[in-house]
Amino acid sequence: MENEKQVLSPKMKRKLKSNAVGFSFVLPSLLGYAIFVFIPVCFSLILSLMEWDASQAPLKFVGLQNFVTIFGDRNFRNSFIHTVTYSLMTVFPTLVISLLLAVLMNSKIRGITFFRAAFYFPHIVSVVAVGAVWNMLFQPDYGPINMFLKFIGISNPPRWVLSTTWAMPAVAIVSVWKNMGYYMIIYLAGLQGIDHSLHEAASIDGANGWQRLRYITVPLLTPTTFFVLIMLTIQCFKVFDLVYVMTGGGPGNATQTLVNYIYTKAFTSWKLGEASAAAMIMFVVVLAVTLIQFAGERKWSDQM
Amino acid sequence: MKMKKMIAVLLASMMIVSLAACGSSSSESSSTETTTETTKETESTETQDTSQAAETEESTELTGEVSISTWGYDTSGVAFQTIVNAYMEKNPGVTVNVIDYTSDDYNTSLGVAMAAATSDPDVIFIKDAGTLLTMADKNQLLPIDDYIAADALDLSVYSGGAELLQYNGVSYALPFRNDWYVLYYNKDLFDAAGVEYPSNDMTWEEYYELAAQLTSGEGTEKVYGTHHHKWEALVSAWAVQDGEHTVVAEDYSFYKEWYENTLALQDNGYMMDYATITTSNIGYADMFENQQCAMLPMGTYFMASLISAIANGECDDFNWGIAAIPHPSTTGAGYTVGAYTPVAISAYTDVPDLAWDFVKFATSEEAAALLGEQGVLTGIQTTESMAAIASLDGFPQDGTSEEALSYTHFVFDRPLDPDIEEVRTVLNEVHELIMIESYSVDDGIAELNERVAEIKGW
Amino acid sequence: MKTKQKFLKIVITLLLIIFSICMLVPFYWMIISSLKLNKDVFSVPMRWLPDMDNIQWKNYVTIWQKIPLLTYFKNSFKLATITTVIQLAVSCLAAYGFSKVRFWGRDILFLIYVTTIAIPWQVYMVPQFILVTRMGLNDTHLGLILMQAFSAFGVFLMRQAYMGIPNELCEAARIDGMSEYGIFAKIIMPLGKPSMATLVIFTFTNVWNDFMGPLIYLQTKELKTIQLGIRNFVTQYGAEYNLIMAASVVSLIPVVIVFVCFQRFFIEGVASSGIKG
Repeated sequence: MENEKQVLSPKMKRKLKSNAVGFSFVLPSLLGYAIFVFIPVCFSLILSLMEWDASQAPLKFVGLQNFVTIFGDRNFRNSFIHTVTYSLMTVFPTLVISLLLAVLMNSKIRGITFFRAAFYFPHIVSVVAVGAVWNMLFQPDYGPINMFLKFIGISNPPRWVLSTTWAMPAVAIVSVWKNMGYYMIIYLAGLQGIDHSLHEAASIDGANGWQRLRYITVPLLTPTTFFVLIMLTIQCFKVFDLVYVMTGGGPGNATQTLVNYIYTKAFTSWKLGEASAAAMIMFVVVLAVTLIQFAGERKWSDQM
Repeated sequence: MKMKKMIAVLLASMMIVSLAACGSSSSESSSTETTTETTKETESTETQDTSQAAETEESTELTGEVSISTWGYDTSGVAFQTIVNAYMEKNPGVTVNVIDYTSDDYNTSLGVAMAAATSDPDVIFIKDAGTLLTMADKNQLLPIDDYIAADALDLSVYSGGAELLQYNGVSYALPFRNDWYVLYYNKDLFDAAGVEYPSNDMTWEEYYELAAQLTSGEGTEKVYGTHHHKWEALVSAWAVQDGEHTVVAEDYSFYKEWYENTLALQDNGYMMDYATITTSNIGYADMFENQQCAMLPMGTYFMASLISAIANGECDDFNWGIAAIPHPSTTGAGYTVGAYTPVAISAYTDVPDLAWDFVKFATSEEAAALLGEQGVLTGIQTTESMAAIASLDGFPQDGTSEEALSYTHFVFDRPLDPDIEEVRTVLNEVHELIMIESYSVDDGIAELNERVAEIKGW
Repeated sequence: MKTKQKFLKIVITLLLIIFSICMLVPFYWMIISSLKLNKDVFSVPMRWLPDMDNIQWKNYVTIWQKIPLLTYFKNSFKLATITTVIQLAVSCLAAYGFSKVRFWGRDILFLIYVTTIAIPWQVYMVPQFILVTRMGLNDTHLGLILMQAFSAFGVFLMRQAYMGIPNELCEAARIDGMSEYGIFAKIIMPLGKPSMATLVIFTFTNVWNDFMGPLIYLQTKELKTIQLGIRNFVTQYGAEYNLIMAASVVSLIPVVIVFVCFQRFFIEGVASSGIKG
């Protein structure tokens, strides 16, 4: 290395320059990010091996004890399972619906601004209002949803947020409803990058709407889909607010999620080491999923 | 290969940088800690001198700034506002800075601020007694025994409250507010049903009877005999009312009858069912103010807001009264359950003397009288402060209501236990499952026994 | 053929109208609740139509009187605008670096960025707060801005947008002797406009609606934000839902304006005109 630096070949020089230029683009972001995000994150990851109650007392190294403790904690196991269930129930419906919505919203229909705003609304509207309204809609005895289910002949509709089995699906439904507009926006932005002439050419060749969607739009949207998939997964793993206003983690702990668990561990019990350990596990799972998707993106784009 | 090496070097250097930064920040924090501690020591010795001097000179002019942490100061903090204004009026040289956090997230925000050992707030109002213990355990609160001794403060005025707040024999806080359960009732609905008003000596069985008698109507016209909000405390408080048990127990079988009684009220339709209360977000104040329930067991803090709701025309004007909370058949009258709002001093304060002066004022008889005028019950109950409450505009003038505000036995609604918040999480979860009848009472008790034992390591 | 298309358009429009109504139900509920007495907000059974004789316009006056809403509004606006501008600038630059320039450790660095998104803020909130406090930035707007402006999310979003732009465009410009900075400013940035609009909308909304950040970082009343103000109506003993909803309706206005202004970038449809391999 030392020698290489002293006698730079032209190729090296070019490489170095490219590196410098690349870094110069990334640097402003990297600086702020390293200080305000990366360092605290590292610190909290190190915390997972420590015992700390957020006091001025020195950290105590406990090795993997925190991991042992939370693996033995049924609340952790439950919230982990709940989070995974929730993710499975929400990720794909949200992905598909938001893509279809975006394709629809990309056409020239009268009042398109209004429709777009309407679909984005659930995302910006106060989460307190969302929780209150949906809880009333889901009211098991006289709420409109169960009235409708009874009307179409389901004599014993679910008790939704009051049932340990149906509370999570109820939250998942609201989550899809709330987030599809958000991802629709991302897809809309992605759709603007698709060359119109491709569609035109395909139309001339006799491709119908579905075929154009399947063979042109979807493949060209790969980077966006990749982004949406990762963000959705992460967002599902981090779900907190919505559950809090809808069920408060209940009934019992039927909708207790990972972040809920972490939050309670950190700010009710003040066991920041255990909270970090739980976050660490969550991190590893999401990392694994992300890596798989990364690999998928490579393969997918190589095929194109 | 080279690429990989570079990545490794890059990663390693980043780790070193970040570790160094973390390390320096933590070492910095520990160094500030030692300095604050040393200054504290010197200050506390000085403190004694100055406070003794203050005693002899009586009115030494205090100057400086003191910060206090509160919740809901603007919207529901009449008590805080009263104290702050009165204190500043009394000590023109002192500025009180209010650091207000939202009510729901008070403990979290305060805990994070404490983690950074910021010198503000100096004075900490503590929202629930459990926090007092966790903060004391983390050495975040200043022991105030020396101050109490130096000022020869007579703790007996708090009628045991100050001692209840001691932890491991050390005082960290004094009682600012004191609230306990009473029974609010709607006189108009009682009159309409032709039932006699509840007395201050009534057992829970008699109360269940009343609830049955006062229930009437159907649909939107329905009037419930009573209303229990969804809180777990509205079952457990009665279970510990006799002082025999606490909510941190090895065996929760003493809960059984209380859950069965509450479920009976719900199943018979004498009170609104838990399912409706949660899914429709029913507030207890609205139930009572809309005259949809004839009785309401609730804390004394509800008094002031009920009076103002009626006075401001936020609800219909109706006649109401207060009775003592019913008591178990095994005890006599005068047993009640309640809690204190303690006020303490931060261990990281830069103005401990001023902070103590503020705490002393907030928990004084003088403050009690001022707060009484706002309908707030304080840690000190003097004849004047009680008279001030009873003479409030809108307070029921029937004699029995005033009498209902006194008790002979006060039981803490939750014990001073460092794990209390974790235990309460379990109590809440199981409460919900029992109330929606997803669990039988026995299942619930079994789960409580198991999970509380896990937390406590029994 | 033409009539068939027209018919299809009408059906789609109708469907969209029905869908949008479903989307707007909570908003409708917010508005009617904001015009009620608190005791009437939640009634059993629920009422979907407002009681015309009893409309409480005064809730919209009360919210400005009970809390210093105007100050909160200004603070939120300041924070959201500055954070959005920084976020946008920094993210676009970094995204170009991550997508169009090769440099050592690029992919690993990017992976680190992305994966830290997965760590819930609640976990590193305490270390972060300690760090910011040690830098003397606690209880300042600057602290809050810096903390939120460098999110990995923005970088990720823009990087994906730039990934979708064919590399041939950059190569062609390079051969023409354009510098990387020139390519970024003249070619890539204009093509990434729709995604920039997305980032603006998202960042603005996020900062505007953020609650925990301001809660922990701001102690001085004069510095507080609108979401903190709204939470003031949730008290220890209950919540004033009518006022919460009134304040929420008011607080929605800037977000909607930002959305409407920036969503028009999604209709340009000309983004691709310059791209032909």
